[in-house]
Amino acid sequence: MNAWLVGDLALVGIALPVAVWIGARGNAVDRLIGLELSGVVATLALLAFSQAVAQPSYLIVPSVAAVLSFAGSLVFTRLLAPRP
Amino acid sequence: MNAIHVAAVCFFGLGVAVVVLTAIASLRVGRPEDRLHFLTPTTSLGTPLIGLGLVLANGWSLTSAQIVLTCALLAITGPVIASAAARVAAMREGEISQRSPE
Repeated sequence: MNAWLVGDLALVGIALPVAVWIGARGNAVDRLIGLELSGVVATLALLAFSQAVAQPSYLIVPSVAAVLSFAGSLVFTRLLAPRP
Repeated sequence: MNAIHVAAVCFFGLGVAVVVLTAIASLRVGRPEDRLHFLTPTTSLGTPLIGLGLVLANGWSLTSAQIVLTCALLAITGPVIASAAARVAAMREGEISQRSPE
């Protein structure tokens, strides 16, 4: 087990469950913040995993996830805004 | 294990610590605005630190370029979605108008 994998496990084992917990309870805005935090943490965990297993080709996954989580969060902010 | 590798692991570990600690700290606050304040260090500090550690470990290569691209995307889009979420929270609480700012 290398240092990259230890960091990856910390992200997946601690930060990601906390983000999912925030995203699973509370009001709609709290859940939106949990979704945003989950997206960032998951992307960073995928970056660390690519380094841990020494497979640079896996880096396409966090690159796409960074773009898609941004777009998804913006869609949810649009949907959660109260209608005039 | 040379000095660059040690520096890379230190930067990476520091970034992971920032992300983990801010995630735990955001559990302890109640208001969405306070939670958004804890989301900011994750994208503005933790992400560049993790990216710097990974770039130092890989050296000048296409792998590093893709890591920089991904971290830059996270660092740029993080404040955007945080401000969008704060605006939705303010709109739902009736603090600001529902019309777009002009």
